[in-house]
Amino acid sequence: MGRRSSLVRLGWAYARHQLRRRFRGPLPAHAQDVLNTYAEDRLQPLTLSERGQLPAISRCVNCGLCALVVKRVGGVRLADLPAAYLRDYTQLAAAATDLEGGDPGTHALLSAAAVCPVSVPLAEVAAAVRRLGAS
Amino acid sequence: MTGLDSAQDVVVIGGGVTGAGLARDLALRGVSVLLLEGGDWAAGTSGASSWMIHGGPRYLEYDWDTTRQSCEDAGHIVRIARHLIHRCVFLLPVLPGDKLGIERLETAMEVYDRFQPLKDSHPHVRLSGAEARLLEPGLSPRVVAAVTMEEWGVDPHRLAWANVLDAVRAGARALNHSRVEALLRDGATVIGVRYRSADGQRVEARAKAVVNAAGPWAPEVAAMAAAAVSLRPAKGVHIVYDRRLSNFAISAEAVDGREVVLVPHGPITLLGTTDDDYYGDLEALEVLPDEVDYLVQAAERTFPDIRRHRPARATAGVRPTLFQWRPNEDRLSRRFEVFDHEKSDGVPGLFTIAGGKLSMYRLMAEVTADAVCSRLGIEAGCATAERPLPGAGGLAQQPHELAADHGISALAAARLLKRHGSEASEVLEDDRRGRLVCRCEALTEAELAYSARREQVRTLADAFRRVGLAAGPCAGTACVDRAAQVIGEQLGWNQSQRRDACREYLVGAWRCRAPVLDRWGWAQEELAYGARRGWPGGH
Repeated sequence: MGRRSSLVRLGWAYARHQLRRRFRGPLPAHAQDVLNTYAEDRLQPLTLSERGQLPAISRCVNCGLCALVVKRVGGVRLADLPAAYLRDYTQLAAAATDLEGGDPGTHALLSAAAVCPVSVPLAEVAAAVRRLGAS
Repeated sequence: MTGLDSAQDVVVIGGGVTGAGLARDLALRGVSVLLLEGGDWAAGTSGASSWMIHGGPRYLEYDWDTTRQSCEDAGHIVRIARHLIHRCVFLLPVLPGDKLGIERLETAMEVYDRFQPLKDSHPHVRLSGAEARLLEPGLSPRVVAAVTMEEWGVDPHRLAWANVLDAVRAGARALNHSRVEALLRDGATVIGVRYRSADGQRVEARAKAVVNAAGPWAPEVAAMAAAAVSLRPAKGVHIVYDRRLSNFAISAEAVDGREVVLVPHGPITLLGTTDDDYYGDLEALEVLPDEVDYLVQAAERTFPDIRRHRPARATAGVRPTLFQWRPNEDRLSRRFEVFDHEKSDGVPGLFTIAGGKLSMYRLMAEVTADAVCSRLGIEAGCATAERPLPGAGGLAQQPHELAADHGISALAAARLLKRHGSEASEVLEDDRRGRLVCRCEALTEAELAYSARREQVRTLADAFRRVGLAAGPCAGTACVDRAAQVIGEQLGWNQSQRRDACREYLVGAWRCRAPVLDRWGWAQEELAYGARRGWPGGH
């Protein structure tokens, strides 16, 4: 099928689309409908605050300094939260068992963040990982 | 000195996904096959693609048949490679002044919806700008509306390897790092190839037919037999971000009206692609600063904080598009063609498959295998549309079960299952190696050792492609030394060879990172440099 034929068919489709819009109006769709459709694919959106933190989280150079202050969150080495766990957040539910167990607490995480040479917000990272893992 | 290999029915040149798919197709028909790849599997065009198994709604404007074929074959790939694929849900936002307004865009999606069931995908949904931002908070406040669209994503390196592996299981021989240097001829007829094997030996392999599936190198290979293949090669650049930046893939209009896409694929995000005629040396592809700026500028309009994210590297590949005079690059057809050089150039025994795209690799392989089998008088039919690739058949364990059984983290198990599917537990046969070697990718020593033992990994760069070694934000800083030890134990490397392997990898990786380094990337480089300051010969 050539370009001319393709354009004619698209033109016909456009005319039908406009007619449908005129007589039926747009079919309502909501973000939640989309999320329900793709629930199996775990496309849970980040919160605005998590979204805002993401660039800072990607600064992590995995130097391991933070792990000298706080070794683990659950069963996970602290440095691995930004460098590995918060890379594909759709997978976090599958990895939730790794996060079970000891919570070092916000104060300890802030101390760990204080030694980070690239200022990764580690307390926020831990909170986001736990939220997404549990969702 | 040249050794003589055994004779086979067909030699396939080129271990991209098409060559690998062709070797699989032929082997499953009972044809004896030798597959040769000069570098590593999918290290060229396939690996540098957008990692999409898609129908290509934009081809609706030019060629509905390509869209239909592409969707049909995407459906087959989705079924045979279930563990390797993931759903990519796109948000196609509309901003004031965009080339396509919301009504034209939705019309295109209404048409595309007719093809979506072919690849097990849902129809589109139309959203207001506010609803779109609820789904993706990073979208520009200027977005006035959006529609969703579904495609599939795949790691082309694993897809190519799965095809190679299945070909080998069906009786084919497959050799990477084995570069074809000449076509053997008897008069005008091509009767085999001479190649340099991975250990440096020159070997001759006789065959009844030779298939040139060398992608952009196809004209060069055809010329070895004085045959001609006309391509219009196009360079495509992608920026790779170190993590998932968004839940949904997002399209954006570039300054020249082209569409570029930001697509999350597991733990990375690809932004691409450029599409420019390429006349340069295929062995010396470079990512240029202009190309990086072009892509980031396009994405920024729709996804404003893109510049705050950290690019990890860039990739460049060359599409082997069929030659056409006049249309600009974006409008070139993605059709493919099988050349029987006996008909076109009077060179019996040589075929070339060229053009097409990743989504159609299986169909391209089938059509080529049909042509070759017809010439060889073989009547067996194609089995690749239904037979699952290795790992896609049978039931895979859940990550937490695999993790508990083998004492690894659930994240490592999830990544392992993504790569190996139902064969994941075989990879962990050596339970002593549950330790992570690449922490960013949650890659275990067991999987890395397995890749060297069973998956033809010969270099650290091969391991990057096969199992994601050093693909994360640390870019190898923390893992290449240990990785070289693990691989070296399997391949018998001495200390010096391990050092050389690390150096070779880091230098190669640097070439991919240099065009996109931001300040945090430089911090990473500093760390890597400091860690290796004491090395003989420096780094």
